[in-house]
Amino acid sequence: MFREAVASSDRGAGPYVLRFSPIERALHIMVIISFFGLVVTGTPLLFSQTEWASRMIRLVGGSASAGLIHRVCGVITFLYFFIHIGNLGYRIAKSENRKSFFWGPDSMVAQPNDVRDLLQTFKWFVGKAPKPQFDRFSYMDKLDYWGEFWGVAIIGGSGLLLWFPELFARVFPGWIFNVASIVHGIEALLAAGVIFTIHFFNANLRPEKFPIDVVMFTGRATMDYLKEEHPLQYERMLKDGTLEGKITNPPARAAYLWSVSLGLLGLSVGLLLIGLILWALLFGGATP
Amino acid sequence: MRAHRLSSPLFDSIGRFSGLCATALLMVLLQPAKSYAQDPEVSCEKCHGDAEFVANIPGTREHSFMVPKSVLVGTSHSDLDCADCHESEAEGYPHVEEVEPVNCVSCHEVEGFEWSGSVHLGDGMATPGCVSCHTAHNVLSSADPASPTNALNVAVLCGSCHTDPEILATYFVGPEQELARTAAEQYHETVHGVAVEQAGLVVSATCNDCHGAHFVLPADSPASTVNRTHITETCGECHDIPADVHRSPMHVDTAGVTDAADLPDCTDCHTAHSIVRSDEPRWFVGLAETCGGCHERVYETYFDTYHGQVTGLGFGLTAKCSDCHTAHQVFPASNPESSVSPLALVETCARCHEAANANFVKYLAHGDMRDRERYPVLFWPWALMTTLLVSVWSFFAIHSILWLTRSLIEATRSKARLEENV
Repeated sequence: MFREAVASSDRGAGPYVLRFSPIERALHIMVIISFFGLVVTGTPLLFSQTEWASRMIRLVGGSASAGLIHRVCGVITFLYFFIHIGNLGYRIAKSENRKSFFWGPDSMVAQPNDVRDLLQTFKWFVGKAPKPQFDRFSYMDKLDYWGEFWGVAIIGGSGLLLWFPELFARVFPGWIFNVASIVHGIEALLAAGVIFTIHFFNANLRPEKFPIDVVMFTGRATMDYLKEEHPLQYERMLKDGTLEGKITNPPARAAYLWSVSLGLLGLSVGLLLIGLILWALLFGGATP
Repeated sequence: MRAHRLSSPLFDSIGRFSGLCATALLMVLLQPAKSYAQDPEVSCEKCHGDAEFVANIPGTREHSFMVPKSVLVGTSHSDLDCADCHESEAEGYPHVEEVEPVNCVSCHEVEGFEWSGSVHLGDGMATPGCVSCHTAHNVLSSADPASPTNALNVAVLCGSCHTDPEILATYFVGPEQELARTAAEQYHETVHGVAVEQAGLVVSATCNDCHGAHFVLPADSPASTVNRTHITETCGECHDIPADVHRSPMHVDTAGVTDAADLPDCTDCHTAHSIVRSDEPRWFVGLAETCGGCHERVYETYFDTYHGQVTGLGFGLTAKCSDCHTAHQVFPASNPESSVSPLALVETCARCHEAANANFVKYLAHGDMRDRERYPVLFWPWALMTTLLVSVWSFFAIHSILWLTRSLIEATRSKARLEENV
């Protein structure tokens, strides 16, 4: 099977189950495109004394064009953010089980079991407990999700201030733009740091998933994947009979190949970027 | 002041080159001389215009002696006769034994006077005399493009010595060698060199416009036109406005600097031999570094702002020092005349940010987020965000490393178990 070669979402035996809806997959693609656009055109400002930063901006056509790309990607960010909110609201309104969005295993809301899972994970690290069993969303999945919320709010808000300083200066004193620059920059470093190391590791690079997990692109994963990564969800759905309804066809070969290629490309570029950032943080303006 | 220097070495040196020629000529011509009586009626042309005669003089180089009267046609000296300069040879043929060197100063008094006080009159050094620059016979007006002293050719003329490694090694000490060489080499790429040599804009400055043609002195000599005490006047010969402005209190009696020598003059910012147009990227990108050479603190904080970051990346999109502080009318913000005084800030910021208002200009263009005392409003957000960044990332980085370690341990164990079972 061509799938077993690379992607961990296609491990073991089928059948395939649907994990992410087309709209969720589309939103994640928007996140990837805009996030890379933002990091490539934004972080060089924070390391303006380094050679790589200057080259990166020249690569995208200079600082004016970098500013334009940054703003376009910012708009995409707001767009996917509000599409998600709208879609979520629509689904909640339409749902027969509205509570499930706010509490329980299908909710993104942090719950007591997440704290227990976290503690158990640390016990597992030192060999004092078995690896925790996750339901549909692990606490690491929730970290990614709420990190996005927090990040878009903080970076997006400060970004808007910096985009329209004259407008906001009608109300706020000018030093608010100093604060916005500081917050925008450091929060961006946090976002890049978390996405390019923590998220990459948790979603792709850890031994269970190495080198890549394309479920977020294809939306589909094998039953074995579900059993290993989300065992509680598997058992729960098996018990209440909803698992069968989730069974779907395997991803098309083309979709799979695109997902793996773009995914690996994104991983490489992200790791390169975080490498350059860490280098600049540790060694200042010195090469590269 | 310079009069005492106008002594005999002047005259010795002026004729050094022409004298050399004359002496050589004499030595050769003296041999047949004994058989002739000295005859004032013999014309110079008779020998020095006769190629066959010159060619037959044993041991001579033809060109040295082949000087027909026609060489002066079209030169500045076309109205002169040989005898006007070669006075002692003109006494007749055979020539007198003690040939006097040609004395240019007998006509060109001022130039000779200036030259005699210049660095080019070294103590017995083979430094340039009149003919080195003006040639001996083909003397053309400096207005003539064919003249080596024409503005189009001066940089090459001066450069012929000032880039010569042997001359540099002999007459320049230590770092001055490199300085002199780069000066002569870089000039061609400066705004002045490009204007003169590429655009033919001969009113632009070449070597002698700043250093003088004859009274050339090193910059550390107080009488030099390029000495700190004179440089603004020298630049001001062409650049009326900036030099004027410079003489006003800009960069003067500010910041407690009392010694004028510590204050910047034209060349401190613009350099002497790397001057480029102020609208060229290599100028405005380097501007922060230029000003930052003295203003260290604001230089660092400049790069905390978008203004400085874009400049640092090598682009001219955002405000550089002079965009806010002006280039020459630089006053401290406390001075009402300053472009960054509270009174002028709205207008200054509005040059780029059209709708800037009183709120807008409360932006801290040089705010230092690491300075808790002066900028608490920047320090606390910075401290908070940095703490958040470091703690969140570190926590999950440790989480990931531990995960990796445990996963690998478990994978090794289960592999071992599998092998045991087999």
